[in-house]
Amino acid sequence: MSAAPTPPLPPPTPSPMDAPSGGEDRFKLRGWHVALVASLIGLFLLFYQGLWGDPSAIPTVLIGTPAPTFSGPTVVDGSTFDLSQYRGKVVMVNFWASWCQECRLEHENLLALYNQFRTNPDFVMVGINYQDKLEDARQYLSVYGSPFQQVRDLKGTISIDYGVYGVPETFIIDKQGVIRHKEVGPIVGPDYNLLTERIIPTLLQSPGPSAS
Amino acid sequence: MTFDLVELGHVAVILALMLSLVGVAAPILGLRTRNGAWIVMGRQAVTLIFLLLAIAMGTMIDAFLTRDFSVKYVAATSNSKLPLFYTVAALWGGHEGSLLLWVFILSAFCTTAVWLHWRTQPATIPYLIIVESALMFGFLALIIFLSNPFERLIPAAADGKDLNPLLQDPAMVMHPPMLYMGYVGFSIPFSFAMASLFSGRLGEEWLKVTQRWTIFAWLCLTTGILMGGYWAYYELGWGGYWGWDPVENASFMPWLVGTAFLHSAMVQEKRKMFKVWNLFLIIMTFSLSLIGTFLVRSGVLTSVHSFATDPGRGLYILLFLATVMTVAFGTLIVRSPKLRSLIQLDSIVSRESVFLFNNLFFLVAMFTVFLGTLYPLIVETMGRNKVTVGPPYYNAVFMPIALGLVFLMGVGPSIAWRKASMENLRKNFLLPAVVGLAALTAALAAGIRSPLALGGLAVVGFVASTIVFDFGKLTAFWAARQHVTLVAGFFTAFIKNQRRWAGLVTHFGVLILIIGIISSTIYQTEKVVSMRVGDRLQLGPYTITFKQLHAVTGANWTAQEGVMDVTRGDQFIAEMRPQKRIYDVSMTPTTEAAIHTIHTGQIFVTMPEVSQDGTAMVRALINPLVLWVWGGGAIMGIGVILNLFRPKRDGT
Amino acid sequence: MTRTAFMVVALLLTGSWGALPVFAPVEARAAQVEETALDDQVREIAKTLRCAICQTENIWESQSVLAAQMRAIIRERLKAGETPDQIKAYFLSRYGDYILMKPRVRGWNWVIWAGPFVLLLIGGIMLTRTLSRWSASAASTPADPLPPLSEPSRKRIDNELRAYDQ
Repeated sequence: MSAAPTPPLPPPTPSPMDAPSGGEDRFKLRGWHVALVASLIGLFLLFYQGLWGDPSAIPTVLIGTPAPTFSGPTVVDGSTFDLSQYRGKVVMVNFWASWCQECRLEHENLLALYNQFRTNPDFVMVGINYQDKLEDARQYLSVYGSPFQQVRDLKGTISIDYGVYGVPETFIIDKQGVIRHKEVGPIVGPDYNLLTERIIPTLLQSPGPSAS
Repeated sequence: MTFDLVELGHVAVILALMLSLVGVAAPILGLRTRNGAWIVMGRQAVTLIFLLLAIAMGTMIDAFLTRDFSVKYVAATSNSKLPLFYTVAALWGGHEGSLLLWVFILSAFCTTAVWLHWRTQPATIPYLIIVESALMFGFLALIIFLSNPFERLIPAAADGKDLNPLLQDPAMVMHPPMLYMGYVGFSIPFSFAMASLFSGRLGEEWLKVTQRWTIFAWLCLTTGILMGGYWAYYELGWGGYWGWDPVENASFMPWLVGTAFLHSAMVQEKRKMFKVWNLFLIIMTFSLSLIGTFLVRSGVLTSVHSFATDPGRGLYILLFLATVMTVAFGTLIVRSPKLRSLIQLDSIVSRESVFLFNNLFFLVAMFTVFLGTLYPLIVETMGRNKVTVGPPYYNAVFMPIALGLVFLMGVGPSIAWRKASMENLRKNFLLPAVVGLAALTAALAAGIRSPLALGGLAVVGFVASTIVFDFGKLTAFWAARQHVTLVAGFFTAFIKNQRRWAGLVTHFGVLILIIGIISSTIYQTEKVVSMRVGDRLQLGPYTITFKQLHAVTGANWTAQEGVMDVTRGDQFIAEMRPQKRIYDVSMTPTTEAAIHTIHTGQIFVTMPEVSQDGTAMVRALINPLVLWVWGGGAIMGIGVILNLFRPKRDGT
Repeated sequence: MTRTAFMVVALLLTGSWGALPVFAPVEARAAQVEETALDDQVREIAKTLRCAICQTENIWESQSVLAAQMRAIIRERLKAGETPDQIKAYFLSRYGDYILMKPRVRGWNWVIWAGPFVLLLIGGIMLTRTLSRWSASAASTPADPLPPLSEPSRKRIDNELRAYDQ
C-alpha cells in the first residue's frame, strides 16, 4: 500500500470557509423538523405494511351481490348446465384449468369436500373449465376424476362475470343466489377447514327462498 | 481437491464484508486519537474491498462463461444455448447478481473518490470513508446472508433455465450498469454532505468538491433511464418507451430531485445561500435511490421489472434504508441551527428566485410520481378497494408540471442574479415570448387542438428562442470584437463560456426530447387488423402488403416471420419482417417488432398473434419524430460531457 | 425443357426457405383490410381498462387470453348498443376499481388528482411570501460591501482590459 504519509489532520476549529451563522446556535424545534420526521415515520410504516401484502391480488367486489347466472356445455358430453336450475341450493363454483399446477393441489380436497356434502340434497358443486382446450380438460378429468359436473367457459364470459383473474378460484353461493364467499388459490389447510366446518354447513342450514 | 474459483469469490465477498467494518471503525479511531495512520488504514481497507469485489465479479463471470451450473444463480439465469454476450450480462439479470454489481460499482467509486480527494480534503476524507464503508457493509451483509449469488446446487443442474428472453438485448445489457452508476454516483456527494455535517465544516467546500461527481452521476442516471426506454421501444413491441411502471418511476424520482439539486447547488456556489436546502436535496436524492432499490426487490409493488422477492429480504432492505435516512436527515435537523445562510436577495424577480421555483416544480413533480406509485398501496393499507394508477393519470397530472418546468428552463439562464430590471427582462424575454405566441398561433392555425401539444409548442418555442438568442448575441459580439467570421466567433464564445453553454446545449436537448415525446405519443397512428397473406392495409400515406408468412430459426429460438412490403403510392419504401418468437428453453413467446425509419419518424409493425390457418393479427404504427426522443437524449449527454471536460481556468 | 428445369429449381429454392411455407400466392381474393369504426371504439374503451393478468398493461396492449376475451366482450356489447360508460360500468361491477387504468375522481381519490396542483399552489404562495420577505429585509438593510476581488479574478480582469485596449 502507499507509503506516502497522510497530511496531518487540521486543528478542530471551524475553517474560515464557513459563513458566520447569525444568531443563536442552540437547537430550536421548527415546523419543518416535525413535518420531516413525521413523513419519514409514515413512509417506513407504509413500506412495512406493504411487505406483507400481495400487490397482484385483486380483492373481490362480488361478496353479497347476486351470483351471475350462466349456462354452458359440460365437458364430458356437451349437455347444457344452467345455474338458474339450482336456485334454492347452496352452490360451490370452482374455476380450474388443466394447465394449472395449483388446481392439482386442491383437487383431492375438492373430491373429499364433495363426498362430505353430497348426501345433502341442497348442496351442488360445479367446476368451470377456464381458458382450456376440450381435449386437455377431458384428459385431466379422466386422470384425476370428477363426480360433479364440469362446465366449459367458451368465451370467457362466465369467468369475467365472476371477476376471475386466475385459477383456482372458488365461489360459494347461498340459497338465495347471493355470493357469500370467495377463495383465491387452492383450497388447502385452514381454508379447507373453514369451508367444510363453518361456511358450507351454515349456509346449508339456513332456510331456502320463501317463494317457489 | 480441485481449486474452486467460485468459492474464492465467495470468500472474497466475506472478507470484503469484514473489511467494511474496518473501514467504518478505523477512521473513527483516527479522528478520536488524532492519528493519521488509522485514516490510512481506512483507505487501505476500501481499496482492498474494491480489489476483493473485482475478484468476486471475476469468479462469477468465469462461472457463467464456463457454464458452471453447480452455481444456483448461474443455473437460474443462463443455459448452455445462451449466446456468450448475454451470458456475461446474465450476471446482473437476477437479484443476487445485480446486487453484487451494485456494491462493486459502489466500491469502485468509493476508492476513486478516496484516492482522488486524499490530498485536497484531509478534513472530510475520514468521514467519507466511514459513510461509504457503512453503505458497503449494508449491501455486503444483504448479499452474504440473504441474497448469495455463490450458493451451490448439489447435485449440479444439468442445464440452466433461460435468461428472460426480453433481457437478451444489447440495450438491456448496458441499462442496469448505467443506472447503478447513476445511483452510486450520487452516493459520493451524499457522503461528502454527510462528512460536512458530521465534521462541522459547514461551508460550500463539499459542493465544490462534488460538483463533477454530481454531473457525472446525473449523466449516468439520465443515460440509464433513456436506455431503458430505448430497450422498451425496440424490444417489448408495444411501440412506446415509458409506461409509468412502478420500477420506472423508482428510477425517475431520484433523477427529478437530482436535477433539482444540480441546479440549486449552482446558487449556493454563487451566492452561498440555501445551505440546508442543498443538503436536504442531496440526502433526498440518494434516499430515493435506496428507496428505488427497496421497491424493486421487496415485492411491495407489481411490476414487469421486479426481481423475485421475499418479505425477509424486503424487511432487511427497509431497515437499512430507514437507518440511512434517519441518520442522514436526523443529523441535518440537529445541525440546522448552524447552517443559517446570509440571504441577500434583492428582488423576487431574479435568478435565485427562478431557481427556487425550479426546485418547487421538481419537488412537486417528484411528489406526483411518488404519490401515484404508492397510492394503490396506501389505499390498500387503509382497507379500501384496490385502485390502479396508470399512464392516463400521469399524462393528465405530470405533463402540465413538466411543461411548467420547461418554461422555467427558458427563464432561468437569462434572467439576472439578485434583481432583474425591466430592461433586462425586456431584452431577454420579449422576443422569445413573441416567438412562443407565434408558435402557439401557428399550431392553432394548423388545426392542433390537444392542450398538451399546444402548450408544449408554445413553451418550446419560447425556450428555444432564449437559447438561440443567447448563443447568437455572444457569437456576434465575439465575432465583431475579434474581427472574425461568425463561426469562429461561435467557437470563441463557446470556449469563453463553456460551462454556461454546455448547460444550454443540455437544455436544448431537453427541448428536442419534449418535441419527440409529444409528437410520438399524441400524433401516433395505429391500426390493428387481422390479415392473411396477400391482404393490404392502408396506414396513413403508406400501404402495407402482407407478402409471406414463414418459419425462421435463431440461436435459441424459432419464430413465425411475416414479410411485409411498405409502399407509398408507387414508390417502394421498405420490406419489414416482424416476428412472433418462441424461445427454446423457457418456451416464452416474444413479439419482435419490425421498424423502419423515415426521416426522423418510424413505421413500427408487429404481429401479436399468428394462427394456424395463416391469419395474423398485425399491428402497425407510425411514430412521428420518435427519433427526436433519442436524439434529444444524446444532445443532453453531449452538453453534459462538454460541461465535465472543461479546461480548468482560474476562478471557475 | 429449360422452363421445367427453371421451375423445378425455383421450387427447390423457395421450398428450402421455410419449413412451413404458408405461401399462398397473391390471389384474386386478396383484400384491402381496414379498421372499422367499431374497432376504433373497442380500442378507445380497451385502453382505459387494466389487464388483471399482465397487470402493468391495459387490455388493448396485453396479449393475454383474458385481455382478448375482454376485448371480445366489449365488441359484442358495443354491437348490442351499449355505451362506453355502460361497458366500463360492467367491468367495474365485476372487478372493482382495480380494472380502471386511472382512479375515479371521487372521494379520497381527490388526493391524487388535485394534490399535486394544490401542493404547487401552496408551495408557490409560501415561496413568494418568503421571497418578498427576504427581498424586503434586504432593501431595508444596505447590501454588504462586495467581497474583495480574488487574485485570479483580478488578474483576469486586468488581462481582458489590456486586450481590449489594444
